[in-house]
Amino acid sequence: MAQEYTEYLAINVLNEQQLVSYRSLSRALKVHSNLAKQMLYEFHRKQNAKRPGSVHATYLITGTRRPESPSQTNGAHSQEDGGDTVMQSSPPLPGSSAPQHEEDAEEPVSVRSVLLVKEEHLEQAKATFESITGIHIYSLQANGLSDVQSLTECNRKITASYASEDPLQAWKQYGTIQNPNVKRRTQRRGPPPPAPVAKAAEPKTKPLAPTTKPTVLERQASKESKASQESKPASKPTSKPSSAKATPEPAKKPATVKRQDSDIFKSFAKGRAKPKKQDSQSSAEATTPAAAEPEDEPMGGFSDEDDDAEDGAADIDEVPQEPEGKSKKEREADLQAMMDQEDEIMEDAAEAIPDKTAAEEDEGAIDRPVSRQAEEPAKETVTVENGRRRGRRRVMKKKTVKDEDGYLVTKEEAAWESFSEDEPAPKKLKTAPATSTNKPTAAGKKGAAKAGQGNIMSFFSKK
Amino acid sequence: MNGQDPSTDTSLLETPDMSTPHAVLDRTPSAYTPHPTYRLPPGSARHYQNQYADMYFARLAQLKPATLAIAADAFDTFSIADETARRVDRVLDVRQGELCWVVGTCYMEMPLKPNVLDDIGKEHWIAAPPTRVKYDHPSVALEAGEGAHGAHAGGTGGVGTQIMLEDESGRLRLTGSFLRGCLLVTGAIVAVVGTENKDGDFEVLDLRVPDLPRQPQRWEADDGNTALTGKKPGSKKKRPRAGKVAIVSGLGISGDEGDTLTLDLLLEYLLGESTSPADQEDASTISRLIIAGNSLSHASPIPSRQDVITAATKNAAKASGTRKYGYDSAAYNAAPTDRLDQWLASLLPSMPITLLPGAQDPTSTSLPQQPIHAAMFPHSRNYMAPPTATTKDGDGEEVGWFDSQTNPADFTLDGFRFLGTGGQPVDDVYKYIAGEERLEMMEAMLRWRLSAPTAPDTLPCYPFQDEDQFVIKDCPHVFFVGNQPRFETTLIEGPVGQAVRIIAVPRFKETGEVVVVDMETLVPEVVRFEVFD
Repeated sequence: MAQEYTEYLAINVLNEQQLVSYRSLSRALKVHSNLAKQMLYEFHRKQNAKRPGSVHATYLITGTRRPESPSQTNGAHSQEDGGDTVMQSSPPLPGSSAPQHEEDAEEPVSVRSVLLVKEEHLEQAKATFESITGIHIYSLQANGLSDVQSLTECNRKITASYASEDPLQAWKQYGTIQNPNVKRRTQRRGPPPPAPVAKAAEPKTKPLAPTTKPTVLERQASKESKASQESKPASKPTSKPSSAKATPEPAKKPATVKRQDSDIFKSFAKGRAKPKKQDSQSSAEATTPAAAEPEDEPMGGFSDEDDDAEDGAADIDEVPQEPEGKSKKEREADLQAMMDQEDEIMEDAAEAIPDKTAAEEDEGAIDRPVSRQAEEPAKETVTVENGRRRGRRRVMKKKTVKDEDGYLVTKEEAAWESFSEDEPAPKKLKTAPATSTNKPTAAGKKGAAKAGQGNIMSFFSKK
Repeated sequence: MNGQDPSTDTSLLETPDMSTPHAVLDRTPSAYTPHPTYRLPPGSARHYQNQYADMYFARLAQLKPATLAIAADAFDTFSIADETARRVDRVLDVRQGELCWVVGTCYMEMPLKPNVLDDIGKEHWIAAPPTRVKYDHPSVALEAGEGAHGAHAGGTGGVGTQIMLEDESGRLRLTGSFLRGCLLVTGAIVAVVGTENKDGDFEVLDLRVPDLPRQPQRWEADDGNTALTGKKPGSKKKRPRAGKVAIVSGLGISGDEGDTLTLDLLLEYLLGESTSPADQEDASTISRLIIAGNSLSHASPIPSRQDVITAATKNAAKASGTRKYGYDSAAYNAAPTDRLDQWLASLLPSMPITLLPGAQDPTSTSLPQQPIHAAMFPHSRNYMAPPTATTKDGDGEEVGWFDSQTNPADFTLDGFRFLGTGGQPVDDVYKYIAGEERLEMMEAMLRWRLSAPTAPDTLPCYPFQDEDQFVIKDCPHVFFVGNQPRFETTLIEGPVGQAVRIIAVPRFKETGEVVVVDMETLVPEVVRFEVFD
């Protein structure tokens, strides 16, 4: 036993530099708190005998303090009770027939103090006491205690780490006052674990659920509104490998079907779709390079460009996204795990999805502008003048409009913009067009894809 | 001294003695019966469309008989210059120049008292006026009409204060130097004797209040129950010596400061883990903890003016997003509630707790405040009475080990009747009355037989319909009021030997003080928890 506590204290106080209170010691060694106090004292004495100042203590003093003590929080009492005599001057209370105020206003009220004090102030504190009924070590720590309030940490740890103990049984060994009459509900639903870790973990998984829903719904909603994101042949194949790679299809479908008729989710979809689209888009992009190459044939213009972008020396856009894509993948994995739970409805999905894709293919109003651009390269008129290039080029501009339903719709529109830049830059531009028809459009399209609807659709669409 | 004091127990500053086991103490039991006096009817039966006028009507009807009886004793023989005072039924029946006495409800018109009509009239106010420390304003000039009367520098009021007496029939303005010495607030039922002067004001010569109601004998309620269950009251068992009860208020857990060390010290003291064996034995006689309001510091559903300002500045700083229905869910901090719950849950295995809400607690804001809901206490609620046990009449209700009570609360503890509040009624009465003697105000409340006299005038309350539940029907033995600036206590006596221990419980957060009342003698003492620095 003796070794045990010395060892425990040596490890925790000296090595780990932790605060150890008599309570945490009594919990750790399962001993009576009074014994723990003595252990703290013994350890403190021995250690400081070996090496003075190696262990600091805080003391808890109980007793009666001198009334005129300056540090008294409220020096009121004793004086105040005397001061109450003002009352005779004050006129009778509401004319009550009762004898007024022959109450013993001067009756002394005993004030006991429980004072926590640091080792260095011990003598000083003792001097403020008229009589001391008890004193013991409250806690030990290796270095001086900068903030006394940090002692609350001890009790917080105790509640956290001993939450599983049944207080009615376990606390007896700590010397807690027992109460034979305690009533506790019999059908005891375990209280929520106080572990903050669990709480922290929860929010992390939660956001995932919404991420899937909106996307799926977005598709649903837009299909209904005939805004019709045509799933461009171009983008479809691209995303196919990527999504197939990241998330097994079955996982996705049930979700789609499940949410089909939920209006609430639709309303969410409007709001959330945008960030989500970006996510899925970027994840699609991120996964593309690896997956896309083997399946070259079906790729249309769009994916071509994506590839070009990869190949082209200058894809600045893609570079920062690469690492991000990794985390996306992780998220997808999580998502997949979540969706796997919903697998039961698979058959429905199989039925539902084909005609949907068919419908989607028919009308492609929203995404049409995008594909159109893919076809007609933006014409640039360039004049080179003493080292500078000037001209006009076509760029895509985002426009956000409120539609007749009151929703905000972001569209890409081509616009002409004049530019002027240094000579060296165009060189780079000029080499690029060899592979990809022209850089600006690609960039524009990427923007378009991000904001537009097409790619998400492809990401989640039926293959 | 300095440790040389022979009384000092230094046994804990010795080498651990493994051979002799340390004692484990048992806590003194506590006999506790809550009374559903201030429970409001549940859900659908709770109506807020009633008129407050009914409350005043009911109050006057309830307290008139008692006031009449007391006043009749005193005033029927009251005579001046051979003219004996005559009782007048209604305030409007008072005739000029005639010595008479009448009973009615007091109404105070004060310069700084909030007035709903003013509020409507001054809609151009940008912000609500700050909370008043006192409704009375010493420096308000005499420009008001009644300045001419000049008589209303009455005891309770300074310049500009008018005291009126009203009943169902009408109002009568009270005047006279006698009032200068009286504590009066809106809502108090009083009997006054005097004459109407030429200005139409009533010159008060003397005044009576209902005074303390009947006080039950100790253990009366319990003995009554034994009688009902058929046992002979005489055969009552020998009751064990009662222990002590600890009353604390204003724990003020805010969650944003690391200032809860004293709270820990209190917990350990009550659990009997800290301090020396002798003190632990002392702590084991504390049979119950009563928490009298404001356990949390910013949890009121209606944030205080200060809270709103702080929140506004904070929001402006971070320019937070839109809030739905004015509620910023991101600003909600569960930490204080959680801390309180943990704290209670650590204490409950060892001692029963009665919890009263206060102005800052998460429950209804109007009096009587209803118990804080069990949902706030995921850990401690295992010790509460199961929800199924709640019955309509409340009598058959199982008493929880952890009892979340109303504010005000009415219960019997170890045979003594307790009445306690979280402090709002006294704080509001304080605003009417010049001076700082809160004990006098508490005493006055008992003598008015009103646990919340200024409700509904300046204190929000539920519009009672059939009876005013703030009327005190049984005189308590102990009347405690939480969240007062400092500890005070006194013992008052009633006309037929009632004795009431009045205790003002200080805010723990500011003073670190807990009041411990001996349940045999009702003598309070204070235990103070401090950190030396």
